Amino acid sequence: MSALLKDDELLLNAYCDGELDPVAVGEFERRLESDESLKARYDRLQKLREGVRSIPQMDMPAGLQARIQSRLDGERRNNVTVLRRRTWSYQALAAAAVFGAVISSSVMMTMEQFGQRDNVASEVVAGHIRGLLAPQPYDIASSDRHTVKPWFTARLPASPQVPDLAAKGFSLLGGRVDVIGHDPVATVVYKHAAHTISLTTLRPGQSVPDQTISGYYVRSWSDGDFTFVAVSDLPGADLAAFERAFSAAAPAPEVK
Amino acid sequence: MLELGPEGSDRLSGQQRVAVPIVQNTDERAAFDEVFLPHMPEAYRLAQWLTGNASDAEDIVQEAAIRAFRGIKNFGAVNARAWSLTIVRNTAFSWLAKNKPKTVVYLNDLSAVEQQELEYEGLLGTKVETPEQIALFKADAEEVEKALAQLPTQFREVIVLREINQMNYRDIAEITNVPIGTVMSRLSRGRKLLLAILGKRK
Repeated sequence: MSALLKDDELLLNAYCDGELDPVAVGEFERRLESDESLKARYDRLQKLREGVRSIPQMDMPAGLQARIQSRLDGERRNNVTVLRRRTWSYQALAAAAVFGAVISSSVMMTMEQFGQRDNVASEVVAGHIRGLLAPQPYDIASSDRHTVKPWFTARLPASPQVPDLAAKGFSLLGGRVDVIGHDPVATVVYKHAAHTISLTTLRPGQSVPDQTISGYYVRSWSDGDFTFVAVSDLPGADLAAFERAFSAAAPAPEVK
Repeated sequence: MLELGPEGSDRLSGQQRVAVPIVQNTDERAAFDEVFLPHMPEAYRLAQWLTGNASDAEDIVQEAAIRAFRGIKNFGAVNARAWSLTIVRNTAFSWLAKNKPKTVVYLNDLSAVEQQELEYEGLLGTKVETPEQIALFKADAEEVEKALAQLPTQFREVIVLREINQMNYRDIAEITNVPIGTVMSRLSRGRKLLLAILGKRK
């Protein structure tokens, strides 16, 4: 568990907010039973939360929704009027038709490319989800980079640096091999607070757009040796921090 | 293809390309109704808590709705609720900055020491309390409402998003655009500040 949750007060808050994982809940509840002062703070916090929740909330004024709807209708009408005023010669129409055909074929091509990239992202996310469903999200469990890296080296033609980023709040859990496309690739697994991050390494030069798939955030970056794809339920800001920490700790080796 | 097709010549392919914006508009409207509309009552509540008054909240929800409608093409996220509330939250902050700059204390405007104090320490931070002292606290809705209204905006918003809108940490982090760790420390600090204010009133 990260340094964050060693803070009692944050732990208490996270417990009340239902944000702890089952193991941490069990540990915390055992402490609650034996620690009188913690129990008193827990009761006080719950009482405060009930107080906040009992504040009567004002309903949205009647008519606000209708006013907004009619403003949006206004926006739409304006656009339509402008479009209808245009007149078209047949030459322009013919040119437009040709242009349209060219555009649509290039759009199709782009979409195909996008489709391929999306497949990569989806497969990486699927690997992450499989990892979460398994008893543990890694094949080799170790917080020691000198254990994980050789494990990869024995199985894969190429594997990344495996820095432990515990000092930055991302502790190394271990590694696993995912299959993306038809290639086995290295995935390094980190933990941040109660959240798991899978960092999958693909061959260099692939571009995977940052996106959300099935509620998981996907963030990708590249160096000379690998394209990295990080997947987690952490929001974008945390994944960006993870990217910075990882890039700072694992600079691409200049000579292989 | 078209709902609003003008008569006759529009069946030609050239005209159809021109008409694409209309189709998009119709779709955008449908998307808006699906994505933003269901969350409007919540959006209104959030805006009211951020501004502290009903008519300002109404202005903000209207403006946020227009922004959401214009930006509906960018809605790619899974979570329509978080997306909608993010727009409302950002609209409220820019509205406050423009119309009531004095009421918002931005943490970034404070000195590093003050920030540290506000986010992590101060008031109840280091004091060790006995169970008897902890139990001395009583708050009804009216008291809590006044206390919550006094909190600096950054603390008030995470508490409102958590307790009133009942969002989880991840969504709060997304809406307020800070890491989850910051959400956790702000929630914890905000609640302590509330307790401190309520303690004084007793």
